[in-house]
Amino acid sequence: MVGQLSVHGIKRSRITPQAAEAKKLKEQSKIEAYLALEADVLGRKRSKDHTTDSLGQTTKLLDLNPEFYTIWNFRRNILLTLFPTLISDEVVAHLTSDLRLTTSYLLVHPKVYWIWNHRKWCLESVPDGPGESVKWKEEFWKGELKLVEKMLDADSRNFHAWDYRRYVLASLPVQRPLTDELKYTQSKIESNFSNFSAWHCRTKTLAAIWEKEQTPEAEIRRTKDQEFELVTQALWTDPNDQSGWLYHRWLVGSEPPLEVLNREIKNIKDLYEVEPDSKWCINALAHYTLLLGQDQSTTQVDKAKLRKEAHDLYRRLEDVDPDRKNRYQEMGM
Amino acid sequence: MATASSSSSSDVKLDTALHIKYIQNLDKRQDLAYHLTSHLRLNGIYWGLTAAHIMGQPNTLDREGVIEYVLSCWDDEAGAFGPHPGHDGHVLATLSGIQIMLMEDAIDRIDVGRVTQFLLDRINDDGSVSGDTWGEIDTRFTYICLSSLSLLGKLDQIPQQKRDSIIEYIRKCKNFDGGFGRVPGAESHSGQVWVCTAALSILDRQDLIDVPLLGAWLSERQLPNGGLNGRPEKLEDVCYSWWCLASISIIGKLSWINRDKLINFILGAQDLEDGGIADRPGDWVDVFHTIFGLAGLSLLGYPGLEDIDPVYCMPAKLIDKLVLRKPYAALERMSSYP
Repeated sequence: MVGQLSVHGIKRSRITPQAAEAKKLKEQSKIEAYLALEADVLGRKRSKDHTTDSLGQTTKLLDLNPEFYTIWNFRRNILLTLFPTLISDEVVAHLTSDLRLTTSYLLVHPKVYWIWNHRKWCLESVPDGPGESVKWKEEFWKGELKLVEKMLDADSRNFHAWDYRRYVLASLPVQRPLTDELKYTQSKIESNFSNFSAWHCRTKTLAAIWEKEQTPEAEIRRTKDQEFELVTQALWTDPNDQSGWLYHRWLVGSEPPLEVLNREIKNIKDLYEVEPDSKWCINALAHYTLLLGQDQSTTQVDKAKLRKEAHDLYRRLEDVDPDRKNRYQEMGM
Repeated sequence: MATASSSSSSDVKLDTALHIKYIQNLDKRQDLAYHLTSHLRLNGIYWGLTAAHIMGQPNTLDREGVIEYVLSCWDDEAGAFGPHPGHDGHVLATLSGIQIMLMEDAIDRIDVGRVTQFLLDRINDDGSVSGDTWGEIDTRFTYICLSSLSLLGKLDQIPQQKRDSIIEYIRKCKNFDGGFGRVPGAESHSGQVWVCTAALSILDRQDLIDVPLLGAWLSERQLPNGGLNGRPEKLEDVCYSWWCLASISIIGKLSWINRDKLINFILGAQDLEDGGIADRPGDWVDVFHTIFGLAGLSLLGYPGLEDIDPVYCMPAKLIDKLVLRKPYAALERMSSYP
């Protein structure tokens, strides 16, 4: 671990000089084998030895170090040299085996960019066929959604997997209805209200649906009302989790209809009564109170009153959440 | 095997001498992990050298050795730097190479013309930027490309139309929470927030940042233990002391977090026996967290440190000398702490 350049979350431990020496000796043969393999593969790369033999060597090296992006590049150059000499079935066989390889690496290293990249390249290289069909492409892409769901089951916040999911959905030869993605995010959210990645994805999916279908304002409002119900469940379940509050803020937006704003303020006030120390609750109330004060229909007298109300809420936040008191001071000005 | 003692009490000081020694020893213990991370080697030297500059000891590493090593990483086929001899050129290593050569005052020893061309070739028509000819897209690469060109004094070589598309692309990566993601549609993440706010700064388009909204989001990254996280409801990590802090410094809202709590968190993540800083107290240290912990401490005004520029993550003195300084605000340097 000593020579590592970037490590995360591994507990430090002290070892005696003797133990360190023993470890070094034990490691020595591994280091020698690794360096010999590395020298062999980089030598083949220099001499542009794009053979199946070299391909096998890159697998051995990547098994030991899947972050070695230069070797992934070399591997693709080998495949690009081999492909024109092969029939489509053989190309598909190569790609299948590379996808299997990256799957096995991703299960151990779910956050390594280079492995995800190689996977994308494989999928984009799938030829048309068999015959006149595009069955290969369809099959390959269908498998990707299953993989990414598995990855998100293992870590529901892995942003590589979420980004990859968006990429796969955009690339599917037969597009799925966007409402399927709403169902998916809903299931993720309901199993854990704290999954902000899923809430975020929901904002993008809803916006995409509304844009694609040119949804009329009244219908957007109906959908949003249902969303308010969903997020209200989250807020009441754990008012100290910011994920739901962020989503709520997105739903309210910058110019909400007056009835919606008033209704939401009332709902949050109900929660505030039960949870008087929830900073997120106070924060939302303060922000929405300011929004209400900006509404055209609000009278000058009410505006002053609302500003005072918001000001008092920010003062309260300075006590409840002193780490951010300077922010609240500025907001309440 | 005893678990290392963590140092979290508030009277802990920054052990500069120990961290300098740690940086000098980075190349001495060549265990397997060392060889397995050769794809980060040039970045590692940039991290170590910048850390040494922040601690006021720019001559910590052997200058000629460092320069020779950078030159040995040149990928002549690509016209860019790789992270280690024999590795492929990539923007990630190229920025580190440029930064190291500037800090060592040896930029005239690289082929600026070819590097510039490599960087310009990375900009796609839609304003996205790739990391190399394989075409991976990420706002990290947008920043790297702009930062590199700017450091080389070649920013004006980007055609106006492409400059506009880059700005438009960054706008598409902006989310309702004020943050930015890797690509359009991606969730806000502090690392991507930094690269996008710094990229907009380099392009003099800070006006596209929603300061109160992003400032609030960034300030909420601080957890009760003082550390910062990268996204809502995630764990703290010393490296976010850079990604979040540099961003919030660029938008002038550093006072929106609790300075002393963060300082104590970073100090608590030091290894006070062998030097270096870890992701959080008690974990293994590495040079990546060492630089970003120190850079964070510098922005927070920790006594005795040199100023760091939050847009370029390089010594502020050097950036000022190159006349590249953009608007930002660091906290005043304290004469003592606590």
